[in-house]
Amino acid sequence: MKRRNLLALMGMSPVALAGVPALASQDKKTEKTKKGAPSAGEPKLTVLNPRGLPPPITLVPMAPRLSTLDGKTVYLVSDGFPGADAFLNQVSIWFKKNMPNVTTVYRLKAGGFADDDPKLNAEIKEKGQAVIMAIGH
Amino acid sequence: MGIPSAPLVTKAFKDLAILNAAKRGMPHERICFTPHPVWGKTPEEVRAYVEGPDPVSGKPLMKEIVDALTVPLSDEDKKGGVVTVSTGPATFTDTADNLQEFYLNNGYTDFLPIILPTEEKVDAMLKGTSHKPDETVGKMAAGAYPPWSYNVRQVAASAVMAGCRPEYFPIVLAIASSGMASLFSSTNSFAFAMVINGPIRDKLEFNYGIGALGPFAQPNATIGRAWTILSKNLGNGGIPGDTYLGSLGNNLNYNNVVIAEHEDASPWAPFHVQRGFKKEDNVVSLFRGLGVVPGQVARGSSANENVQFDYQMSDLFSTFTGFFGALIIADPLVAARLKEQGYDTKEKLIDWLYKNTTQTVKDYKSRNYAYLFDYPRALRGDEPWASWYKMPDDAVIPHFPRASDFNIVVAGGQTNAYPQAGNLSYGVSVSIDKWT
Repeated sequence: MKRRNLLALMGMSPVALAGVPALASQDKKTEKTKKGAPSAGEPKLTVLNPRGLPPPITLVPMAPRLSTLDGKTVYLVSDGFPGADAFLNQVSIWFKKNMPNVTTVYRLKAGGFADDDPKLNAEIKEKGQAVIMAIGH
Repeated sequence: MGIPSAPLVTKAFKDLAILNAAKRGMPHERICFTPHPVWGKTPEEVRAYVEGPDPVSGKPLMKEIVDALTVPLSDEDKKGGVVTVSTGPATFTDTADNLQEFYLNNGYTDFLPIILPTEEKVDAMLKGTSHKPDETVGKMAAGAYPPWSYNVRQVAASAVMAGCRPEYFPIVLAIASSGMASLFSSTNSFAFAMVINGPIRDKLEFNYGIGALGPFAQPNATIGRAWTILSKNLGNGGIPGDTYLGSLGNNLNYNNVVIAEHEDASPWAPFHVQRGFKKEDNVVSLFRGLGVVPGQVARGSSANENVQFDYQMSDLFSTFTGFFGALIIADPLVAARLKEQGYDTKEKLIDWLYKNTTQTVKDYKSRNYAYLFDYPRALRGDEPWASWYKMPDDAVIPHFPRASDFNIVVAGGQTNAYPQAGNLSYGVSVSIDKWT
């Protein structure tokens, strides 16, 4: 499915992404269902929407991009899932062959796969200019 | 960090990656995709992946990666601000058949017919608690996602859908208040269990006798089902490809493992008393893990004169992953035999199991879960994994990191002396009385 459709499915319309905060109708009290068979003559029921309340999304501006990778240090970070190390090793080999002015540094992130690794983050911030992060499986 | 990054994800997780980035505020994150899976491939195969195309965009993967790090940002990429996300109107109106279809098509159900949460039925459910309909109950996420929040009325809707009676509602609220979803995003197809303790077991007529874990009593059946339905509706769990990735899924997710402890037939303290509650308190305790297996498969489980359930259980647990705990579900006959063996408290049995269920470091390191979850923790210096990874291969270590990873409950009808065992970790115990 395309990204646009996926985001619409989660109630995050392209309009919202353009910065208009109000989306469909928390204040709209009731809605007729659109799916299902014709319902002539049958009694109608009003039922509760059983869904909870998603948190608002705080948009995070993406970090500025580099003009070039030449002369830069790129960290290759694995989150620990099997195969990520082998994959990043091949990425490193690709850089050596195709962009030899790029320095790559491999690191396995410490902690659970969804945990932050503040020590590694600090190292990257000090010594690196870009990150390629391999995330399972 | 303020440093450009290119996340690399296998194609199987495309929807998850895009949606999770969006939920975390980066809907235009430049995610690059590889074929799936990466693990188990030869270096040649992996090289072909790296030198080949991104299977989503069709463009050369390494060009995608370099572009992700170097192509200037658009105005959209730089955008900040806050976006609200809607789950639709407060109510829906249509015929009963159409509403059943609508709930089914929108993922509000477990794909079995539901009781429609009409205003009348929800109002009746709300009479099962003294708490106000608009009171916030808690927050829930089905994995590493930003959690959703919900109120008493929304929990009531899921309880109605599952077929609960109003008198069951405090238990459903207690479960919802824990924030623990019974559907989890992991590819492992997790299972979940709950243990019910206290006088409420008899008041609501839970089954803890013959067929204790089976479909033989309304509270066992519907409260377990309610946990899964509310995990979908209140925690946004169970959306395949997005918030649920279990490769095979788990049949236990339909109504989870519901265990009302057979307190009167147990020779030991009830589970909730072990957790610091009083015997007269009503408590639900929640567990998470991989599933439940029968004790009959253990070595030493043939009928003989000197049945030793401690050895049987240890044998069974040696096949479990130590990442999750071990939950013994002992028929009262098993519990009585264990007491005869000298285990007059659960703690004594747990101590024996912890000390005698062991493995070599070599075996430990060969396990998938050790590499996946323990090794990164060892790198961080977390114990005992950091020490285990420094030991020689032939060193013997406990199979489970802590004695507290073992838990014991008693249930069953005493028609035979069989235990069952869950590779399940204890999560939390919640007072039911607080929600009456």
